[in-house]
Amino acid sequence: MNLIVEFCIVFLICMAGEWIAALLPFTLPASVISLILLLILLLSGGVKERTIQGTSHFLIDNMGLFFIPSVVGTLEYLDVLKLQLVPFLVVSLVSTPLVYAATVWSVRLLMKLFHAKEASHD
Amino acid sequence: MIDTLTSTPFFGLGVTLLCWYLAVRFQKRTGLLICNPVLVASLLVIGIMLLFHIPLDNYNAGGSIIKLLLAPATAVLALNIYQQRAILKRHFWPVVLGCFVGSLVSMLLVQVLCRLFQAEASLLNSLLPKSVTTAIAVSIAESSGGLPALTAASVIITGIEGAMLAPLFAKVFHVTDPVVEGVAIGACSHAVGTSKALEIGPLQGAMSSIALCVCGIITSILAMFFTA
Repeated sequence: MNLIVEFCIVFLICMAGEWIAALLPFTLPASVISLILLLILLLSGGVKERTIQGTSHFLIDNMGLFFIPSVVGTLEYLDVLKLQLVPFLVVSLVSTPLVYAATVWSVRLLMKLFHAKEASHD
Repeated sequence: MIDTLTSTPFFGLGVTLLCWYLAVRFQKRTGLLICNPVLVASLLVIGIMLLFHIPLDNYNAGGSIIKLLLAPATAVLALNIYQQRAILKRHFWPVVLGCFVGSLVSMLLVQVLCRLFQAEASLLNSLLPKSVTTAIAVSIAESSGGLPALTAASVIITGIEGAMLAPLFAKVFHVTDPVVEGVAIGACSHAVGTSKALEIGPLQGAMSSIALCVCGIITSILAMFFTA
């Protein structure tokens, strides 16, 4: 479909996401709400897969690009960071692989549990 | 002089796109994990700014336009999830509960490690939400008395670490199931990790996108019990 129309649809969904985020009594980022909103629209048939295909490919293929300004923005915090640099780095870096491992093991275990239950129902 | 030359938004736009292009090509050429394009491109931009003493505000005039597209890029991850809906349906509970365990472990670890370092409460509160996407993490830190700046920096470092090392983690922990791999990447390194998961495969990307959402929601609830 026409890229202008595609972008228009995605931007409108993001705008709705911002509105809902402002109304919610708890904090959930607008981008996550927009994702859920778009998923609901796709599942209900309100938006067709091919209607947003071009935009989606463009945005998803270049996703890393959109993080660069945030990384560059950390320059601003260098002074605060310097004060507690060692604990900050160790806590940030050490926990990541451990969270990965914990998630891997729990998903594996849960898959076994749930699929064993399914099998016993058959 | 340099201030006037770089005060146009086209500076931030141009320099970001150029560095991204070079970093992606460099990654393809070398194939090394350490050459993660987000990291390399950001270091290039930072290098240029430090070298020419360009103020951050000048960069942000254009940078903020690129940053704005992060929200639509996150929203269209829905398409990936939609395309993998059959597999998600089959593994719904393992995926959701796995995200819960991942979020819980992340917060427990931050708490234990901060104790080991006898870190201040403000550091603990800043780092607690480090495994979720920036927008959620910063709002959690703000409501719990953390420093949003530290949180944002930790989220970015965590994300780049996850994106850079995801293939290595898969080897070390013997992960072969794409569903398991995707959920784990999303749970430990949010949207930046998801961008890498999409590169590894569409199923990994979809599962990582789901983990990004589910972990974000779970972490914001759990944070209430963990803040010091």
